Formats: sequence, C-alpha cells, structure tokens
Amino acid sequence: MALLEVEDLRVAFGPATAVDGVSFAVDEGKVVGLVGESGCGKSVTSLAIMGLLPKRSRGNGRLAPDTEARAVTVEPAGGAEAAESSPAVPSAPAPRTAIGGEGRRRGRGADVDGRAVFDGVDLLSLPSAAMRRRRGRDLAMVFQDPLSSLNPVVPIGRQITEVLERHRGLKGDKAVKEASHLLDRVGIPDPARRLREYPHQLSGGMRQRVLIAIAVACAPRLLIADEPTTALDVTIQAQILELLRDLVESEGTALLMITHDLGVVAGLCDEVNVLYSGRVVESAPVRELFARPTHPYTIGLLGSIPRLDLPMDEPLRPIRGSIQDVIRWRDGCAFAPRCDRVTEKCVAGEPALVGAVHAHRCVMAEEVA
Amino acid sequence: MSTEPEAPGGAASRPPLQRADEPAVPAKAPLLEVEDLEVHFPIRRGILVERTVGHVRAVDGVSLSVQPGGTFGLVGESGCGKTTFGRAVLRLEEPTAGRVRLGGDEVTALRGERLRRFRSKMQMVFQDPLGSLNPRHNVDMLLAEPLKVHGVGSREERRKLAVETLDAVGLPKSVLERYPHEFSGGQRQRLGIARALMLRPDLIVCDEPVSALDVSIQAQVMNLLDELQDEFGLTYLVIAHDLAVVRHLSDRVGVMYLGKLVEEADSSQIYERPRHPYTKALLSAVPQPDPEVEATRERIILKGDLPSPANPPSGCRFRTRCPWAEDICAEVEPEWREAATGHRVACHFDL
Ligand SMILES: Nc1ncnc2c1ncn2[C@@H]1O[C@H](COP(=O)(O)OP(=O)(O)OP(=O)(O)O)[C@@H](O)[C@H]1O
Ligand SMILES: Nc1ncnc2c1ncn2[C@@H]1O[C@H](COP(=O)(O)OP(=O)(O)O)[C@@H](O)[C@H]1O
Ligand code: SF4
Ligand code: SF4
Ligand SMILES: [Mg+2]
Ligand SMILES: [Mg+2]
Repeated sequence: MALLEVEDLRVAFGPATAVDGVSFAVDEGKVVGLVGESGCGKSVTSLAIMGLLPKRSRGNGRLAPDTEARAVTVEPAGGAEAAESSPAVPSAPAPRTAIGGEGRRRGRGADVDGRAVFDGVDLLSLPSAAMRRRRGRDLAMVFQDPLSSLNPVVPIGRQITEVLERHRGLKGDKAVKEASHLLDRVGIPDPARRLREYPHQLSGGMRQRVLIAIAVACAPRLLIADEPTTALDVTIQAQILELLRDLVESEGTALLMITHDLGVVAGLCDEVNVLYSGRVVESAPVRELFARPTHPYTIGLLGSIPRLDLPMDEPLRPIRGSIQDVIRWRDGCAFAPRCDRVTEKCVAGEPALVGAVHAHRCVMAEEVA
Repeated sequence: MSTEPEAPGGAASRPPLQRADEPAVPAKAPLLEVEDLEVHFPIRRGILVERTVGHVRAVDGVSLSVQPGGTFGLVGESGCGKTTFGRAVLRLEEPTAGRVRLGGDEVTALRGERLRRFRSKMQMVFQDPLGSLNPRHNVDMLLAEPLKVHGVGSREERRKLAVETLDAVGLPKSVLERYPHEFSGGQRQRLGIARALMLRPDLIVCDEPVSALDVSIQAQVMNLLDELQDEFGLTYLVIAHDLAVVRHLSDRVGVMYLGKLVEEADSSQIYERPRHPYTKALLSAVPQPDPEVEATRERIILKGDLPSPANPPSGCRFRTRCPWAEDICAEVEPEWREAATGHRVACHFDL
C-alpha cells in the first residue's frame, strides 16, 4: 500500500472550487510530482493534506480544526501571531468555477472532502491535536517563499531547536548540537554562527536550506515541497534540487514535489500527475509521460517551453487562451475551450480518468491510444 | 551528481590571450551602441550628516551594440544589474559614466526637451504588467497617454492607432473601455506591449517580459514579440534570467555577472560552445524537460551565493564561485577579449 493515498480530494472556498476530485498516491521513498499552471490547485491540495487550510467543515458534520495550526511546519517560537500572519495559505482570489456544492456548508473557510490516507490513517478526519503532532514529525512541508515561513524576530537556531524539542524531546546543548548538524547537513557553511542569525541576514537560497533543515529535522516519512525553488536563481535552484535529491536517496524520505517546471519534474520525479483546473488530467511514471504525453494539455505544455536541448529554430506551439477560459468538469472537459482536438463528445459530460499505470482524462485520447 | 571540473592543465602558465586586432566588421551600422556604461548607486550612512560610504556598482563598464532589427538578450542572475542597465540605456537612470547612442544620436548627451522628445524612439516593456499600468485608467486612456505626452495626433487619430495596435497584439477593440484588473496576466502583458508600441519606437527594452506568466502564456507572448518585430521593424534588448527564453528570442546574447559582461556571442555560439565558466555553470543548471537528458546531464553545481556588488571580489569577479579559479584570478582582472570571431569572453583561460 502507498504511504499516502489521496482519494477524490475536493476543496471549495464558498462557491469557488479549488480542487475538484484529485486522486494520486505517493509510495514510500518515491518522488511524486504535481505539475500544472498557477491556480490549478497544487498548493491547496498540499495544504489540505497537511491540514493547513483555514477552518474546514465537512459534509459529515465533523468539527473544524483550529486555524492557527496552519503555521507551516515550523510553528515558530514567536507563537500564534507569527503563525496567523503566515501567508502559507494563498490570499483569497476571485471565484472561478463553481461546482455542485450540494449539501456542503458554505463559509469563509475551506470545505474539504475526500480522503488523504497516510500510513493507514485518513488525515482529513484526524482531530486537530493529533494532526499537529504528526505535522513536522511524520510529514513536513517546505514552501516557495522561505522568508515568510520563518519568524523574522527569532534566531534561526531557536526556530530549529523548538522543533527538535517538541518532536524529538531534545533540550539544551543537545538540541543546539543537532541544529548545527542539520544546518551542516543541508550545506550551510559555518553553522554555529548561522544559528545565531536572523532570517533577514540570510540569502534566499540559505533560507530555503534552513526550511529544509527544519522540515527534515524529525526524519519525516513524507516531505511536501511547494515550488521550493521558484523564487530562486537558477544556480541556487540547482543547489537546492541537488540537496533534495540527496535527502531522498540517503534518508529514503518520500517527496511530493509541487512545481510548474517540467524540467524540474524530469530531473527529480519518479511519478508525475498533471493537474488542470483542479483535477488530475494525466498521470504516469516520469519516463513514460515524457516519452508518450497523451493528454492535449500535457502535449500543449511541452510544446510551450523553449528548450535548450532542441534546435534554436524549433517553433513554440503555445496553448491558446488562458486558464480563465474554462468550463465545469461536470459539464465536460474543462480544457475544451483551449483544446485543438475538441469535439462534441468532449462537452457531452464528465470525462473519466482511464488507464492504470499511464492514465489520462481525455475522451479523444482514448480513441487514439 | 555534481562534477567538480578540473583546472585546464598548464593553462595558468600560458600568458592571457590578446584581444584580436580587428573585430568582425558588422554588416550595418548598429542601431544601439553602448560604450563602457557605468551606473553606481551611492550607499549613504549617517543620521545628522549623510556620508557616502561606498557604491553599489550595479553596472560597471558594459559595452555592447545591437543591429537594427536584431535582438540582444542580456542574461544573468538576480541583482547582476540587468534592469539597471536597461533603464540607463533609456535614460530612466542617470549613468555614472559611459555613452549610449541610438541611431547615431548620443542619448547620454541629450537634456531637457530634446531628451523628452527622443524618448518616443525607445520604450520599455516591464515584468509586472499590472504594476506598470495605472489601475484607474481604462485601456483607451492607457494607450493614448504616451501619444498625448508627445503631442501626437488628434483624438480620432489616437483612437485609430490604439485599435490598430490592439489588433497587432491580438486584443479586440472591445477592450478599450476595460480596466487593467479585468485582464488575465497574459492579456495585461499584451497591453503593456501595445502601450510600448503606440509611439512606434525603434527600440524596445523588454525587462523580463514573460517571467511573471504561466508556461503556456509565456509561449504566446514570445511568439507575439517575434511577430511584432517583423511587422514593426523593431530592435529589441531583452533582459531575462531564463536562458531558454533568451535563446529563443535573441540572435546575440550577453551574460552578465556582478555588473559586467563575462561573455558575449551569437546565440547559436554561446549555447553550443559556452567559453566562460559562469556561462557553462548557468547552462548546466537549467533542468531539461526530458528525463533521459536529465539522467545523464553533467551538472556544474556552483558553491555559495552571489557576492555583493558593493564589494566585488578582486581580480575576476567570478573567482569566489568559479570551479576553475587559480591564483592569478584573484590578482589580475581578466581582459575582455575576442576568443573567436564575434565571441568575446572575460576569462584568463581558454576552456
Ligand atoms: N535605486 C537603487 N539604489 C541603490 N541600489 C540599487 C538601485 N537599483 C538597483 N540597485 C542595486 O543594483 C544592483 C543591480 O540591480 P538590478 O535591479 O539592475 O538587477 P537585475 O539584474 O535586474 O536583477 P533581477 O533579476 O532581480 O531583476 C543590485 O545590487 C541592486 O540592489
Ligand atoms: N484561501 C483561499 N480562498 C479562496 N480561494 C482560494 C484560496 N486559496 C486558493 N484559492 C483558489 O483555489 C484555486 C487553486 O489555488 P492554488 O492551489 O493556490 O493553485 P496553485 O496550483 O497555483 O498552487 C485558485 O483558483 C485559487 O484562486
Ligand atoms: S476531452 Fe476533448 S477537449 Fe478535453 S482534452 Fe480531450 S480532446 Fe481536448
Ligand atoms: S578568470 Fe574568472 S572565470 Fe576565468 S578561471 Fe579565473 S575565476 Fe574562473
Ligand atoms: Mg501554489
Ligand atoms: Mg531586474
């Protein structure tokens, strides 16, 4: 059985659906990619798994867990106010598609449905205290913007020893020594000095290393990284990707890698899930996906990237329109307004995800394949 | 797997190569010529009496030229001075030293009214399409504004030009009454481009024109920039950190590091045969969307971060991160030399 199995995950913010039935699995020690353009639901999916979404209520009437828990994996020493201001949760955007909210409660927070089974336990139905204990210990997360995930007024060292104390019971010198070891592990030179410094004294790349150090402090079995290199320069990105690759190899940590960069996917992932408008439209082992991309959206993404490994005059074949041109999944294929291969069949109802190892959600691809 | 490349055997003992006497003769006179451009920002300290305690050498002696109808791509990491260079070329930033000529006119010598009028020949497209458009102006006003400033045309003529320009960037004329926030990121960038086009400039400086956009939209905007270049006979200076984007758009490329060019060549040359260690490292850092390539690709992982441009390292500025660095690199600044026809590089060695 998979380490993490997400089944039919749905997240809605009032009338706006962010995640519309996402399913995928992460096996022990594997790197699984979630790839797609902005707004397709990558971050919301990961926040839902981590129980970090603002107040949720469930169709079955279970209680909503506390909001301050969304203070990253780092739950910094600064306490609740730092946690509250954490922008881990994207700010509320304009409502886009609405899907049937039958029987679902509406409110400012997120409505979460479905299952996220981690090691046999559905995380979505765990009481918040139990979830908080797991977070940082069994699963940990790294965000795109390391500066806002760290507490600006607390030295790096204390932010790490906090986690070590809470989850591993390490105190005093022992915790400091371990913190220093962790910084060394993620490639920060002169760790003893860095422990006394504040986040603003570190470069973006070093802050991201600190976050990774905190995330791996308790040897979690699953690490979720949400665009961890998007804000970094390409040479620093290369350093961080190398570090993640190394962690996965040496510690056997499973990694859920969220990115919009197909190059990062190709270099790091074992399995890939391509998301469009809140659903997985194609999933496959990484080599299979790049060798035989099947869904028109995946094909379109690949045709949109200028590549260093192809001749210079290779034309770009962009996808037309934008993600705002969308229809509701229950009415047909959400990609239909932008798809070159659209037919009437595509909007005659919900396209199903077909296939096992290499799956796709396209009625036309079915006929081709 | 990172590789720590070995220093070229015996290269240190070889005298640094001399610059070729005659540079390749360009076919036409360049439209844009920049000579030894410097932009230094003073660092001020003090409460009662402000003193200048140093300078950020954002641009520290950059020379390049762009042929009419050509595209020069300037690439480098954050903070290396790309934007400052672009702004100084357009005189949006006052150069500390150096000269900029556009079509034979010396931009750096223009003052007052003459400079103001000259600006219609050179325009800028920004990274953040929303931040560069006044949110309270509808598209009609946004597009007419540059014309009004330069006193071009009547109301009707301006409107006609706006509709033509919108058409050129692929937007219907019905958008004239709409406001920036009503558009998607890609549409806003089309608006930003339309605005830059309104005065039918000779040169457009595009500062990170696609980096805020989604992958599929990036491709649309890159294709649009290509089409517009032919249609309006534009010359581009494209500034970007994405090497693949720069390669796709440019016919000539300059790589910048800490305020200086370290390598400059035709696009095909620089990507096929990078000569500077920094260019090699940059290229090797870009992940390719192909698992087969990724599995075997040689990666040069640079150590550490970019040093501060206020206090660049002695000798070669790249030496603190360069895998090939030798003693001479800390002592002697490498010459900007022509290593092959039309291919310039600032490194002591031939790699
Ligand atoms: N007005 C200013 N005053 C002082 N320093 C400045 C000013 N503008 C830029 N700098 C500094 O000059 C250097 C170059 O900045 P610039 O914005 O040109 O870099 P860039 O290459 O465009 O980077 P990015 O890729 O992040 O846009 C940086 O160190 C920056 O902090
Ligand atoms: N707190 C929130 N309130 C309302 N809508 C949200 C919230 N967070 C995200 N959304 C919406 O959910 C969708 C998916 O967002 P997100 O998961 O952040 O996308 P991405 O794939 O870029 O990470 C988007 O339409 C976004 O606008
Ligand atoms: S189902 Fe139809 S519209 Fe959707 S991706 Fe396939 S061909 Fe295109
Ligand atoms: S001159 Fe600079 S780039 Fe060349 S080997 Fe020395 S340090 Fe590296
Ligand atoms: Mg996101
Ligand atoms: Mg810039």
